[in-house]
Amino acid sequence: MIPTGEATIGPFFPPRYVDAGANDLTQFEDRKAQGEVIEIAGVVRQEDGAPLDNLVLEIWQADARGIYRHPADPRHREADAKFFGWGRAATDKQGNYAFRTIRPGAPQGRARHINVMVMFSGLMRILKTTLFFPGEQANDADPVYAAVPKARRHLLLAREEAAGRYRFDLKLRGEHETPFFDD
Amino acid sequence: MHTLIVPRDERTQPMRIVPGYPQTPWRNPQEPLIKRPPTLSELTGPSGVEKRVKLLGGDIAGHGDKQAIGQLMHLKLRVVDEDGSPVGGTLVEIWQANGAGRYIHPNDDDHAPVDANFYGAARLLTDEEGAIDLRTVKPGAYPVPTKDGWWRPPHIHFSIFGGVWLSRLVTQMYFPGEPLNGQDRILNAVPDAQARERLVARLVPPTGDPFNALVFEHQIVLRGRRATPAQP
Repeated sequence: MIPTGEATIGPFFPPRYVDAGANDLTQFEDRKAQGEVIEIAGVVRQEDGAPLDNLVLEIWQADARGIYRHPADPRHREADAKFFGWGRAATDKQGNYAFRTIRPGAPQGRARHINVMVMFSGLMRILKTTLFFPGEQANDADPVYAAVPKARRHLLLAREEAAGRYRFDLKLRGEHETPFFDD
Repeated sequence: MHTLIVPRDERTQPMRIVPGYPQTPWRNPQEPLIKRPPTLSELTGPSGVEKRVKLLGGDIAGHGDKQAIGQLMHLKLRVVDEDGSPVGGTLVEIWQANGAGRYIHPNDDDHAPVDANFYGAARLLTDEEGAIDLRTVKPGAYPVPTKDGWWRPPHIHFSIFGGVWLSRLVTQMYFPGEPLNGQDRILNAVPDAQARERLVARLVPPTGDPFNALVFEHQIVLRGRRATPAQP
């Protein structure tokens, strides 16, 4: 069967669908996840630099030991039961979003990373990118990082502003455009 | 369980930059999208999202003196994968305008009236057959503030998770026989006529209980098929 056509999320995604706490992955069912708590924040902008309000971001990542809470991961029975791995945030009027999460471990064959998707009015399709961490030896050998033209790879690196505090700005189009993947 | 994801036929998916949809040229990448090999990271995804977010019931039309104004309808939605197998236990987020074409959202400053008995959102899990039953009122059409006469036809929005990161889908469903369908810039951004047709629900004869409501059926196909496990 042929997959259904995508469409934009539009300007009216119910605010109550961005649940309080959905951007905090550091606990699950009131228990604290294992690993180092990190913060990831940034601004999302369009081509003319205008910050985008009410844009929805979702992330998906492995736990502190690089294991996915999903049956396709051969190690999933060892996954941290207190780490759910998925979160959602929306941007404010200044285009800011923020997540609190756990520093992911490196999954088998990958550098540590966080999958990011962007849904917004005017985006007919979900945009998907991947956040990588600066200074990781494993980045260059990562098949997703390596798929990106060399000159643009730095745009996938979060910037560490303070210990455990990262900035990952997204530019949907134009100068310093974030690399997005064709899946 | 392992999921196989293959590229989609581009003609069955919407153009990214849509003529007459003024936001699209500002927000969609200019650089070519980058092909990547899917790894475990993209072929896994959240399961049990309802443990992280709050479900909202599927009867959003209200009852008695709390009944929303509009054409009462039932939507029988079915979610399947590319094998046609039901996608059970997955989270479906639904939102729509009220019978007059107005959303409960700070962004909607249209003239159309708010209905005190209608919020227009349901968040449900599919059952084992991949099915969801929604009792609602048919959404109204509404003008898009582009000043050139674009009206959205009646439609319902869906956000669906599916089993893996790459099966995540945001889509819209339309109603059969609506005169605005033929001019809608979002529906018609899908080049393939049959693919557009599949975005339109089917009116079916009411059976049994919901004789007081129109009944529509709609099927959504998520990306992914079951992968044959490698032989040892």
